[in-house]
Amino acid sequence: MGARFALAGGRQGWIRTVLTAVGVGLGVAVLLLAASVPHVLQQRDARGDARSGGVSEEEVKRSSTSVLMGSAFTTFHGRDIEGHTLQAEGKHPKLPPGVEVLPGPGEMVVSPALGKLLDQDGSRELAHRLDGRVVGTIGDEGLLGPGELAVYLGSDQLRPGENAQRFDRFGVPSDKEPLGPALLLIVVVACVVLVLPVAVFIGTAVRFGSERRDQRLAALRLVGADAAMTHRMVAGESLVGAGLGLLLGGGFFLLGRSLVGHIRVFDLSVFPSDVTPAPLIAALIVVGVPVLAVGVAQSAMRALAVEPLGVLREAVPRPRRLWWRLLPPACGLLLLLPLSGRLADAPLTGRFAVSKTQISAGVVLLLSGVALLLPWLVERLVGRLRGGLPSWQLAVRRLQLSSGSATRAVSGITIAVAGAVALQMLFSAADPAAAGERGEREKPAAEAESHGWRDAQLRGAPTQHQVGTLVDALRRTEGVRDAVGFLEVSLSLKSDPAQMASAAVADCATLRRLARIGSCRDGDVFLPPPQDGDEADEDVVTPKPGTRFTLRESGKGAPEWTVPASAREVRATPRAAAESSAGVLATPGAIDADALELPWLNGWVRMDKGRPEVTERVRSAVFRVDPGFSIADPADPEDEVLSKAVDTYDSVRRGIFAGATAVLLLIGASMIVSMLEQLRERRRQLAVLVAFGTRRATLGASVLWQTAVPVLLGLGLAAVFGWGLGWVLLRIIGEPMAGWTSFVPIAGVGAGVIAVVTLASLPALWRLMRPDGLRTE
Amino acid sequence: MTAAALLTAEGLRKSYGATAALDGADFSIAAGEIVAVMGPSGSGKSTLLHCLAGIVPPDAGTVRYRGREVSAMSDAQRSALRRADFGFVFQFGQLVPELTCLENAALPVRLAGASRKEAEGRAREWLRRLEVDDVRHHRPGQVSGGQGQRVAIARALAPSPRVVFADEPTGALDSLNGERVLELLTEAARESRAAVVLVTHEARVAAYSDREVVVRDGRARDLAGAS
Repeated sequence: MGARFALAGGRQGWIRTVLTAVGVGLGVAVLLLAASVPHVLQQRDARGDARSGGVSEEEVKRSSTSVLMGSAFTTFHGRDIEGHTLQAEGKHPKLPPGVEVLPGPGEMVVSPALGKLLDQDGSRELAHRLDGRVVGTIGDEGLLGPGELAVYLGSDQLRPGENAQRFDRFGVPSDKEPLGPALLLIVVVACVVLVLPVAVFIGTAVRFGSERRDQRLAALRLVGADAAMTHRMVAGESLVGAGLGLLLGGGFFLLGRSLVGHIRVFDLSVFPSDVTPAPLIAALIVVGVPVLAVGVAQSAMRALAVEPLGVLREAVPRPRRLWWRLLPPACGLLLLLPLSGRLADAPLTGRFAVSKTQISAGVVLLLSGVALLLPWLVERLVGRLRGGLPSWQLAVRRLQLSSGSATRAVSGITIAVAGAVALQMLFSAADPAAAGERGEREKPAAEAESHGWRDAQLRGAPTQHQVGTLVDALRRTEGVRDAVGFLEVSLSLKSDPAQMASAAVADCATLRRLARIGSCRDGDVFLPPPQDGDEADEDVVTPKPGTRFTLRESGKGAPEWTVPASAREVRATPRAAAESSAGVLATPGAIDADALELPWLNGWVRMDKGRPEVTERVRSAVFRVDPGFSIADPADPEDEVLSKAVDTYDSVRRGIFAGATAVLLLIGASMIVSMLEQLRERRRQLAVLVAFGTRRATLGASVLWQTAVPVLLGLGLAAVFGWGLGWVLLRIIGEPMAGWTSFVPIAGVGAGVIAVVTLASLPALWRLMRPDGLRTE
Repeated sequence: MTAAALLTAEGLRKSYGATAALDGADFSIAAGEIVAVMGPSGSGKSTLLHCLAGIVPPDAGTVRYRGREVSAMSDAQRSALRRADFGFVFQFGQLVPELTCLENAALPVRLAGASRKEAEGRAREWLRRLEVDDVRHHRPGQVSGGQGQRVAIARALAPSPRVVFADEPTGALDSLNGERVLELLTEAARESRAAVVLVTHEARVAAYSDREVVVRDGRARDLAGAS
């Protein structure tokens, strides 16, 4: 019968069922999307592996199927373009996935997204850079996501071991760097933080319109239904709402899934087919949501007596008890505290040596304390509030009479905020290396900005001739003030190969840019003084006349080189000291860099920052000399591991903030529904208040206070719990307390939610303040 | 229309959709006078009260209060007038459930700008006179219907209004309670020299008034002779 009421309870019944179903549906859709994340990541890795040739220990031999592949990575307006050069070595070359035709020299195969970008008006510079004839499109199986910018360029300039590698197959699984413990801890906590509020939201949604339902139940009692029957009817009605919610949630999920291919977040995109929920989690959602709905609806009836003549709420509600509300967070602490210091070693890259289940359970229990303690706190604090303006009085008295509905909606916000605070603290503490590196990189960039120019570093593995070509091309580029490029090679001490130095090899004119060398002829060698820190580094040797080196890191037969007795000590220019750590400056007559393996390009470009597109023009100039060369944004850290860590931290940080904001908006939506429902219930009282002259502003302010008081109390409690959880998690990774102010951004979003809920409620309030509510006939 | 009219209405017309609730109704009331507005359900008497009190603007016709045309005032001016000079008693659902009876009775005085202490002092005086001082700290849900109506009357009279509008004030009460509430309302109004517009469909209620006006088909007819 409850089910029938849900579907045939007239307009009001329908509205209630639809509100519940939409609320539950939104929650279910979010949960299903969250349950799809593991599969999305797995598929992303699989797609990455499918196009990887791997790094083989054994040398791949040239054959009819082998291909050479080099890097052609580039960037356009901040968007990364995954580029590779390809060159067939035989008649039947293996092709990367998604590529049907191997592009020849001057040809290219592009991803659909890159094809669109190249066709846009603002992409002229990119089209100039990637000017090959498009002979094909990369299929989905060769891309990480539908929005990925990718290109394969045909080439005849690739040299195995120099600017390319030889492959005879694709689809080699690469060794994955596991997420570092701190990052994994963050991900675990983030999942809990984002999913818990959604569960709370679903719990709130199944209680939409419950007051009107209770009145109907009273009418049924009048015609003979007993208390047990009303409970069963409520269960039936909740099941229908939850069931419809599941269906709608499935629909929302499928809709979101179909749209996901058009969305690009943080330069990432996902194929709809990859968004598939983990079966076990999906099954848990399908079973758990109806159970949760029935449980919540039944527990909501505890303080309610549905009698034949109406619904009796406990006139003086029983005071909420504190002791049992403290149990879950205490258990959470007991689970987490023994883990102190267990992840103290290498938080960025070490192994995750503790139970994820224990951490997840601890975090869930600790955070659930926020939701459990909030109603008690609001009841206690609001009960003490007195005085104030009529608007304040109306709001406070309303909260005193029934703080439950207000705190129910807010508890979701508080969990999200508490979790976000803890996560931000983890970031602040676990990310010092990345933050420090970021800071170091940003400093010179900022200084350069203030001088009216921007610097970028050159990178690549060129020949001596290419360096000259590159520098010439750069100097001819509009907006470039200066360009310096040189080769660097690695030197190993003959007597102890573990001790290293590096040598910059360039003509005299270039060496003059690196040091005050005075007179110079081809064949000369100069010795700049060791840099700060090098002397303390046991692995860095300071070259002196007569020091014997090998010109490769290992192996017999490596050419030897001795610092000539004629080598002069010189002073490096400040710029060179900043950019290069070379302990030897040599002319090509002294060291034949081209004969060596793996020399690398170093140098810098100085650009007028006022010139539009100058960076892109420089990128194009570098790319056109050799797609394997690149320029680096000065703010990028050089250390690859650290760079990846910084990137991952940034992505996760932005992801969490975006997720927390989405959750807060979802909860804000439920708060709006609750507020509108409450206002509709009070239609007559509002009309009476208007009749005796109550100002709109008074009632508007009352709605504001009614929303703001529980939210502000909730945010305060969330900050305390967030700091507490942050403290515990920081102990686990052995870091000191940090990031006290990290709650500010997310608290700002919380305050925004208050404003949105109030503003969204005002039109309904104004409408309900019309005198129509007085008409009863 | 009397010479000392406090509130007058001429040719009021008001329609809700295609239904004409008022169709050229006239009305007047003098200071301290108690006028019963009678008529069957749906005759337009509540609409007349709403128009007189400036709660809804009429489609046509004028309402004058102490010489000022109410129907020409802005919404804010009419709200201010209702706060300062008018009091209201309705049939049911008029007390704010979260506020105590004392706070309910003090609310209009507070809305008019008085301090909490002053407002509650005046409200308490009226609660005492209406014999409900003992339930002042109760919430509306904790008192009987008759007590609730007395609190509502105290609320209507606490700001010292010149006109009290009472729309079926005893409609939800039994006859004994209804009689008592009417006695208290009319006595209190006479003591404070407030005029009362008493909308009712019960003939016995009219016995408490100085004059009776019957509304039928949207028109008002004064049983004393004027229409």
